[in-house]
Amino acid sequence: MDKIHYFGAALGLGMIVIGAALGIGRFASAAAESIARQPSAADKITGAVNLPLFLLEGVAILAEVFVLLIVLMK
Amino acid sequence: MFVQEALQEHAQEAAHGAAEKFNAGETIIHHVANSSHEDALIHLPKVLGIDFSVTKHVFMLWLVAATVFVVVTWAVRRYLKQDRLIPSGFMNGLEAVVEFVRDDIVQPNVGKKWVRTWAPLVLTFFFFILGANAIGLIPIFDVLGLLDYYVLHTGEHSFIKQLLHGGTTATANFNVTAALATITFGAIIVAGVKAHGFVKHWMNLVPHGLAWPIYILLIPIEIMGMFVRPFALTMRLAANMTGGHIAILAILSFVFLFAEMGGAFTGIGAGLIASVPLAVGISALEIIVVLVQAYVFTLLTAVFVGMAIHVHH
Repeated sequence: MDKIHYFGAALGLGMIVIGAALGIGRFASAAAESIARQPSAADKITGAVNLPLFLLEGVAILAEVFVLLIVLMK
Repeated sequence: MFVQEALQEHAQEAAHGAAEKFNAGETIIHHVANSSHEDALIHLPKVLGIDFSVTKHVFMLWLVAATVFVVVTWAVRRYLKQDRLIPSGFMNGLEAVVEFVRDDIVQPNVGKKWVRTWAPLVLTFFFFILGANAIGLIPIFDVLGLLDYYVLHTGEHSFIKQLLHGGTTATANFNVTAALATITFGAIIVAGVKAHGFVKHWMNLVPHGLAWPIYILLIPIEIMGMFVRPFALTMRLAANMTGGHIAILAILSFVFLFAEMGGAFTGIGAGLIASVPLAVGISALEIIVVLVQAYVFTLLTAVFVGMAIHVHH
């Protein structure tokens, strides 16, 4: 039972990947759709998508760091 | 910082309990978390309980700062000495990058009025982070190691031996990125104060004209948000740079795991079929990550500074 924290860390890592993948997938689909509707606004759309994308990535990375902490510090 | 210390402790445990069998996890952690105070390059005394010894990451930090400073100043000075101001060669590329950062990162966020105030800071961030990230991809120290092993034969505790001890990306160290994010934190406050005055800046943190019970909830949230932004910047950069190293090392350690299971030829086969192509692929991905992370850090800095200047609720 003393190694059960590995289980939690692995489970958490999987859930992070699911969440981040869902988020990035929705971003990409929405951006592609809106560029297809309005190709002339492609630059503006990419600019608007960039920032929330990086914020999303930041949340995923933070969660990964905490998973690492679970493994290293028990 | 906290994470770095945990990694270092783990690395020391790994070094002490060095088992005969190859242990992928311990090797990787040891490689990523090196540059502890024990194998410092230059030992300096403690001042006020803070160890001022120069570790390898500090050395890399100085190297990057000096390189960026010398290269950029040299190029710009040489350009300004010309009779006709037409950029050529390296200066062309430099100018394109500077223009991109100024026009596509700083200006849309900060606004025309403040571009000249904040573009220098953001440009410094960009070049420094890009240089520090990119130097981590160049295997200078491994080449030095070969040279040392075959030609120089320096002693066990010599400067070069200490220098060779593991990875080299300064921005993969959480302390370095925390320092960079602290500068951003200060810049946000300075930007707000310069644009609105000292008192008005702090009042701008929360929207005006709400019912008073909402403020009880809102003020702590906004203060937390003030600290979470630089914290997220710290973690994003350092974790991204560390993550690539861990992935490459994990894939390369397949060779040794397979060699342990089925002899040397199995290991070589695993290396040829899986490890080396995958590691090359991830290294190529790392080139993109290096550029994108420098871009993200500068973009977010510009966005936060812009948020302090153009308050809209």
